[in-house]
Amino acid sequence: MEIELQEIRDFIAAIPPFDRLTDDVLNALTAALSIQYVRRGGDIPAKENAPPTLHILRQGAIAMYSGKDNLMGMLGEGDICTSFCAAEVMPDFYIKATEDTLLYSIPCDELSRLVEQDESVLHFIRHSAAQRLKEAVSDMQEQSSSNLLHTYAGDICRGELITADPDTSIQEGARLMSEHGVSSLILMQDEEPVGLVTDRDIRKRCVASGLPVSSPMREIMTHKVTSLNASESLFDALLVMTRQQVHHLPVFDDSGLKGIITTTDIMRQEGLSAVHLTNTIRKAESLEALVEASRMLPRIQLQLTNMGADLRHVGFAVTAVTGAITRRLIELAEADLGSAPVPYAWIAAGSQARREQTSHSDQDNGLIISDKMQPGDDAWFESLARFVNDGLDACGYVYCPGDVMASNPKWRQTVSTWQGYFEKWIEQPEPMALMLSSIFFDLRVIHGKEKLLNRIRRKILRQAPKNQLFLAHMVRNALTHRPPLGFFRDFVLVHDGQHDDTLDLKHSGLVPIIDMARIYALAEGLHEVGTEDRLRAAAGTPSLSKGGSANLLDAFEFISNLRLEHQAAQIRNGDSPDNYMSPKQLSKLEREHLKDAFKVVQTMQSTLEMRYQTDRI
Amino acid sequence: MLSWLFNLEYKRRHLLDKAPEGPLREYLAKPFPDRNTPIDEALLLAMDFETSGLDAKNDHLLSVGYVTLQNNRVSLETAHHQIIHSKRDMSEDNVTIHHITHDQVAEGMTLPQAVEAILCQLQGKVLLAHHAAVEIGFLQQACRNLYGIAPVIPAIDTMQLARQRLERRQQPIKAHELRLFNLRKKYGLPRYQAHNALMDAIATAELFLAQLAHGNYRKPPPLRNFLLRP
Repeated sequence: MEIELQEIRDFIAAIPPFDRLTDDVLNALTAALSIQYVRRGGDIPAKENAPPTLHILRQGAIAMYSGKDNLMGMLGEGDICTSFCAAEVMPDFYIKATEDTLLYSIPCDELSRLVEQDESVLHFIRHSAAQRLKEAVSDMQEQSSSNLLHTYAGDICRGELITADPDTSIQEGARLMSEHGVSSLILMQDEEPVGLVTDRDIRKRCVASGLPVSSPMREIMTHKVTSLNASESLFDALLVMTRQQVHHLPVFDDSGLKGIITTTDIMRQEGLSAVHLTNTIRKAESLEALVEASRMLPRIQLQLTNMGADLRHVGFAVTAVTGAITRRLIELAEADLGSAPVPYAWIAAGSQARREQTSHSDQDNGLIISDKMQPGDDAWFESLARFVNDGLDACGYVYCPGDVMASNPKWRQTVSTWQGYFEKWIEQPEPMALMLSSIFFDLRVIHGKEKLLNRIRRKILRQAPKNQLFLAHMVRNALTHRPPLGFFRDFVLVHDGQHDDTLDLKHSGLVPIIDMARIYALAEGLHEVGTEDRLRAAAGTPSLSKGGSANLLDAFEFISNLRLEHQAAQIRNGDSPDNYMSPKQLSKLEREHLKDAFKVVQTMQSTLEMRYQTDRI
Repeated sequence: MLSWLFNLEYKRRHLLDKAPEGPLREYLAKPFPDRNTPIDEALLLAMDFETSGLDAKNDHLLSVGYVTLQNNRVSLETAHHQIIHSKRDMSEDNVTIHHITHDQVAEGMTLPQAVEAILCQLQGKVLLAHHAAVEIGFLQQACRNLYGIAPVIPAIDTMQLARQRLERRQQPIKAHELRLFNLRKKYGLPRYQAHNALMDAIATAELFLAQLAHGNYRKPPPLRNFLLRP
């Protein structure tokens, strides 16, 4: 390449994936370009039977169509058009210049030859949106390799394992612990761990309760010990600890007990954790204390994101904290109101049920009350509901705008009434009713009797798969949220060719996937609630192919991670986290990956649309 | 009326007889592209000279850049830039405009080598330049000095085309309107930062593509419609 062409080379070099190419390859690529000018309204390619060619827009804009006037996307300066690189271009696909446009073009064969050293560029040219997305997601996972996700319990658990016989005296056990500087002791019998004693057990169950120190450890040990596999990540450890409210976890590998891992070990790896926050919440004696504790939530989300956590972990941690606050509020209410007149279950709907909450979202909840409920009993439940709903609002979980809360009598009902609701929704689906109720197909018990919800869920999962009309309505509702076509300059390009200034990561990114996952689960009678769990469980069923499932999981992971990073940046700046991103905040590469994710979602939406023939209802 | 067109080919053959053996003779030996060739099929060589001034007799060539254009495509594979070694001192003004330093000039080809290369490139092609009088004038003067005679050079002048287009619409032509930079802006072409002979040749080629695209032709007109009258 002539050095005088550097300006053209620099232009190419700034565009991903070409930014990864070495100088030599970039020089060769620049020299292989040809320049074309297309007048506004002109066709690309200008001639039929042109060889497969990749175009880089130097100036101007082009619009891509499938069939008559069906806009598929628009490209502007610095964008790359790979549409003519695919093995087969759709027969009714065409491109028109919407402005006077200057293109740098290169035949795809020649480009492939030039970049053969660089797989990512080759993939960019040759692969489908789904394949590229998969690579982006795995790259992302690799990048976060130095964090809790990729540190395994087996790697950090203490090598020197301190064990004792359950019949050892407490004093002897305490001496052993002091000698080795550990805070717990695993008690072994016949080479099997039978219990665990911690510092706290000695303090609470022995010293504080006046038990002689000569008593055997057996008397103060915890019998049911939750353990961890050595191959599980520290994040898994953190999740188990948060959920089970424990600070010590024995770690096993194939050969048996390998060691023990403590919250301190994990904290030593990475700062503060949700475990401590849920403990604080559990002990909170007033609403003020809960409000104070809940202020920590954004910081925890930020910290987890900094550590490279994905939505599964952030969602779990944040949801665990929300659950703890809800439970504590209920306990405080019960302390005031006396115990419940009949059994009940406090249920969370929507993102809290799916364990996909981030920061403070709106509250969605309800009460399922035993059928034994008497006419006068509702006053108690109403008081409970008001206290908890108000408390959650004070803690930052603002009132549900759609009034989906236990304080609304409609969502504070007996098992039979709830069953009636679902029966009506399924048997006589009406679009509006479904729109409102779709979050009720994502339910989880936060406090109270699990079996009350199970009775309802069993019925839903039996009826839903048989009812095609219901599913078709659900599909139609799901299709009201469609991903954008892509980006054009600094705008989001939506379906009717309109431009938006911001991208709503939730409604045009995550919600379409969440909605589809719900439909697959309902169509197949699957009890999973989390979106990723649903997609995994539905993979390979008649409703969802394995490939489709993998693609949607990649898209979901990519968009959620983008949202987490966006929210982390907002929290860092002291702003309230939201779901709106300006395309200006997105790197060129992120835009490309997002476009691929949108494409995956569009494809799956079209499949559902055809399968359930939503145009006929 | 179109006699000058016939003259071009006639003059070529006439000069061929007088030309000494060497690069100029080889250039003249190759027929010019057929004047009836559709413009998109004609082989064009977009060229730009950086010179020490505008007087072909007293100023001299500093560098040359060229690139071929055919089938509505500028092919960067054919792009070439050449610094021309000059014994004469460079006028300081031009050095700052073109960013060519004395060292770079020293690394260049000698004028006879450069002219030989240019003539070789031009064989069987049509010259494309913006304000082609400069390129034609300097090339002819160099040939006169080197070979004793000046060749005919079929050429397309993007500035001339722009002027004709405005005149046809009877629009008054404003100062600077015909400059390469301003014409490019009119056609939505990017603003290149670099000003070297090669980027200017490419910029000219792009401008010509834009002029063709905006010509509202039902089919590509023949080459003769675009040729500069001598």
